[in-house]
Amino acid sequence: MKRVLFPLGLLTLGLFGYLAFSQFTLPEGPGKDLVLAKCQACHDIGLVARERLSRERWDAVVREMELQGLQLTGEERAAILDYLATYLGTEPPPPPAQAETPVQRTGAQVYANCVGCHGPQGEGNPPAFPPLRGHVEVLLRAEGGRDYLLLSVLYGVQGPIRVLGQAYDGVMPGFAWLSDEELALVLNHLAAWGAPPGFRPYTPEEVKAARENPRSPEEVLALRRGLGLP
Amino acid sequence: MTNLNRRTTLKLMGLGAAFLAAGGRGLAQQAPTADQLVRGKNPRLLVLSQRPVVLETPYDLLVANPQRTPKELFFIRNNVDLPGFNTVEGASLEGWQVEVGGQVSQPFTFEARELLALPQHEVTMVLQCSGNGRSFFQPRASGNPWGRGGMGNATFRGVRLKDLLEAKGVRLGERAFYITAHASRQGGAPEFVRSVPIHALENALLALSMNGEPLPAVHGGPVRLVFPGYFGVNNVKWIQKIEFTEAENTTAEQMPRYRVPTIMGANVPFLPQEPGRPYPYTFQNSRPNWLVTINSFIFAPLEGQRVEGPLVRVEGVAFNDGIAPIVAVEVSTNGGRSWSQARLDRREKGFGWVGWRASLFLRPGEHEVMVRAVDALGRTQPLDGNLAWNERGYEWNGVMRVKFTVA
Repeated sequence: MKRVLFPLGLLTLGLFGYLAFSQFTLPEGPGKDLVLAKCQACHDIGLVARERLSRERWDAVVREMELQGLQLTGEERAAILDYLATYLGTEPPPPPAQAETPVQRTGAQVYANCVGCHGPQGEGNPPAFPPLRGHVEVLLRAEGGRDYLLLSVLYGVQGPIRVLGQAYDGVMPGFAWLSDEELALVLNHLAAWGAPPGFRPYTPEEVKAARENPRSPEEVLALRRGLGLP
Repeated sequence: MTNLNRRTTLKLMGLGAAFLAAGGRGLAQQAPTADQLVRGKNPRLLVLSQRPVVLETPYDLLVANPQRTPKELFFIRNNVDLPGFNTVEGASLEGWQVEVGGQVSQPFTFEARELLALPQHEVTMVLQCSGNGRSFFQPRASGNPWGRGGMGNATFRGVRLKDLLEAKGVRLGERAFYITAHASRQGGAPEFVRSVPIHALENALLALSMNGEPLPAVHGGPVRLVFPGYFGVNNVKWIQKIEFTEAENTTAEQMPRYRVPTIMGANVPFLPQEPGRPYPYTFQNSRPNWLVTINSFIFAPLEGQRVEGPLVRVEGVAFNDGIAPIVAVEVSTNGGRSWSQARLDRREKGFGWVGWRASLFLRPGEHEVMVRAVDALGRTQPLDGNLAWNERGYEWNGVMRVKFTVA
C-alpha cells in the first residue's frame, strides 16, 4: 500500500503545485545551485522544475540547450545531468540526506538564482545584464532606493535603464516564488557589496509587507525613474 | 503498481483539495497574473512561463468567443521577449525597418510605414502553437504543458509578401526554395529564425493588424510575417529580416526543436516513435512543424456540464491547413462504434475555423461525446492521439472526448 501511496501522493502534490502556483522551485539536492545559475540566464526555472524526464531525455534537453548557446564544462554538464535525472526524473527522488535538521540557507546560496545573468561576483554581463556590484551601493544611497531594490527583486523590472553610464534594455523577472526569508537573505547578500553607513538589514517581515501591494515590472521601472539616480 | 481502490483515490483527491483550499489562497499572490506580465491581458489566462512569456487561454474563455479570439484572451507563446513589448497595445511603425534578401534579383530594405500605401489583404486563420494539446501525451512530453488553449482564431490584415515583391520589382531566384524569417534582436534579444517552404509565399502576409486593431506588440507588432495554414512558430513576430534561401536554416528553432519524426519518402502522416524514448533528430528523419494537422474541438457541452435533454445540441469548431476544404465533422456517443454527421457552417477552403453543430437524442444520465473532422483529401484525426507520441509533444490531434450529464 505504501508503495502506491508514495508516488501517488507526490503526483497529487505535483498537480496541486501546478494548479496553485504555476510557479516552481527546484527540490534540494547537490547541483541545484548550478542548475539555477545556468538555466535562469535565459528562462524561468519553472520550465525545468515541472518536468519529469528520464536521464536520456534530460540529456537530449541539455544538448538542445547547448545548441541554443548554453556553455558548460564537462564537470558542470555531468553534475547538472545527475541532478536533473535524480530529482526531476521518472522515479521519485531520494529523501534529503539529513531530513531532521532543516537546511540553513545563506544569502550566497539564494544568490544562485541571480548568477546566470548578473555573474558570480555581481559583475554583470553588458549589454544584456547590468552589474550589481557598485550599482547596489548607488541604489541604497538614493532616497527610496532601498524599497526599489526590494521591489525589483520581488516583481522584476522591464524597460530601458542606465546603470553606471551604460544603457540596458532587458527583461528582469520577479522572484516572488522565493520565500520572504530567502528574499531578505539575498537582498542582504547584495547589500554586503556596498551599503551606506547605518544600513538596516532587510527583514522577512519587510518582504512580507511588500507582497501586500503587487506591482508590474513597468511600475517598478517607474519607481526607478523617480529615484533621481545619477 | 498495485491496484488502487476507490477509497484511496478519494482520500488522495481530498488531500489535494484540502491543500488547494489551504495553500492556494495564501500562495496565489506570489505568482504574477497574466495581466501583470502583459498589460491588457485577461488576468484569468494561465501563466505557463513568466520568461519567456507563455500564457494559455482557459478553455471556457476560448469557447465563449466562437467567432474571433479577442486580443485580451489570445494565447502567447514567446520564444523571445522584446523589452517594452509586453502589452496588447500596438507598437510604433516609425523607424521599423525590414531587410529582404537572399535568392532574389535585388535585395532591398523597406520601412513598416511603407506597407500602409500598398493594397491591403485580409485573412481569418487559426493560429495554433504546435505544442497545443501536449499534456495529453503519455508519458509526458517535455515543454509547456498546454491543454487546448494554445490556439485562437483571428483576422489578420496587411500586405501580401508577394505584392510587396512585385511593387519593388523584385523577382525570386531559381533556387529560392524556402522563406527564412528572422525576428528582431533589439534589447539584446536572442536569435529566432524559422524557415518555411516557398509554397507558403502564396498566402504570406506582412500583418499590421489583428481583429481590426493595430497588431498588439506582444503578438508581434508592428509587423508580423504570417503564414496562414502553418503552426504558430512559423509566424515570426517582430519581423526584421526575410531571406529567400536554398535550404532550411540550421538554428535550434528549426533543428532539433519544432520537428516530428517521419520516414523519408514514405507516405505516412507520422512515424510512431516509441513513447518515452529520445529520437535522433536529423534533417533526413524528421520534418518541421509546418502545416497544421486537421483537428476539431467541442465547444459545448463542456466537460462535466449538466445539460437539458433529451435533445442535446453539441457544437464546436474544426480546421486544417487550408489546402483542402473540411467536408465532414462526425460525432459519436458510443465510444466510436458509430458516427453521425454534424452540420458545417461552410464547406469552402479556408484557414479559419469552421463551426459545426449536431443535435443528439440522449437519454438522461452520463454521456461521452467524441468528434473528428475529415477533409477532402481524406485526412482525419486518430482515435488515439498518443500514436503520434514524440518527445517534445508536438502536433497533438487525437479525437477530443467530453463527458457530460443529461438531466
